[in-house]
Amino acid sequence: MFMGKRTLTAIVLCLLIMQANAQISVMKLIGNNTKDYKIGFGAFIKTGLPVSEAADVTFELGANIFFMSGYGTQYGTIMCPLKAGYRHTLNGTGQGFYVEPQVGYNLIGITSLPSETGENIDLKYHGVVLAAGAGYMFTIGRAPFDLNLRYETVVAHGGSNNFVSLGISRIISFKKRETEY
Amino acid sequence: MKFYLIIAAITILLPSCLKQSIPDAMLGISGKQTKITATLRYEINGNLVSITVEDADRQGPGIHTLECVKSSNYVLSGITSSGDFVFTFFTDSLKVGNYNYTSSYGPMYVTTFQGKAQYVYGPTDHMSFNVTTYKDGHISGNFSGQLTPVITPGFPNNIYGVPGSVSIKNGSFTNVPVAY
Repeated sequence: MFMGKRTLTAIVLCLLIMQANAQISVMKLIGNNTKDYKIGFGAFIKTGLPVSEAADVTFELGANIFFMSGYGTQYGTIMCPLKAGYRHTLNGTGQGFYVEPQVGYNLIGITSLPSETGENIDLKYHGVVLAAGAGYMFTIGRAPFDLNLRYETVVAHGGSNNFVSLGISRIISFKKRETEY
Repeated sequence: MKFYLIIAAITILLPSCLKQSIPDAMLGISGKQTKITATLRYEINGNLVSITVEDADRQGPGIHTLECVKSSNYVLSGITSSGDFVFTFFTDSLKVGNYNYTSSYGPMYVTTFQGKAQYVYGPTDHMSFNVTTYKDGHISGNFSGQLTPVITPGFPNNIYGVPGSVSIKNGSFTNVPVAY
């Protein structure tokens, strides 16, 4: 019964993604003192501009949120990175496996923490964003999708927020390759 | 292909050199926070009382289970399953050494045992604390004492039981954080 519900939920979610061109990911903060954070979620808009048969220049605007364990949605971290990347497919066709380094800027970074006395501490920052990702681009029917795994870091104030992300997205491209019809 | 792998490796390795998260860096918290376990143990009339607090430096907001708070004096307090335990170091600068409190200074509440408050009250009652280490904001040491139970609490005067009938032995405390 539980398995049936899960499968149904997955199918509904896939249909929603296909219809909404949604781009979503699950994330985990890693590094020192990150054990207090739950699994995070991200939503992003990513587009690609083909520059060769094998590669695209990509642009991505995202919003990532990580809540702290034990505090509901009261405390956590939000980051909104704007990134440019170079997505290179390994077989040179613009489909299949790819690698993608990205650089960018964190437009908004807010971390809200409880103090020892129970008061809120709100920290605001920006910072440079670096990311390295790999993924697989495929089509379901005529809809192109991108399943990707990424390591990303936001560097600011002498520290860094690091996380790994597993995402799926409907590919949005500004133009088609010559080999696409 | 090598080019992309090198870029990916640099991207991963460079931030790994930064040991702090951004919030920790902004708050000046050291990168790798170690958990310090604080303990308080003693036998009261042969009954073992024990408190263990993992990650004693981060006991969160509200009531802390075990700590030593600096005000005009230093007050060591712990919350046990049977009640609380309190001892005041009457000094404005806590150091390694012996701290004794006798009934000649007046009655002083220490703990609750078998539902009765226990005081330094009788003529031979005392609490003797020995702070053996005070390092990085944490104190450790040992203690013993002799107390008198309150039979009937009252104001302004309690009615006490047999003087010196409650003994505290083999007391020890480790890594108790000192808070300011």
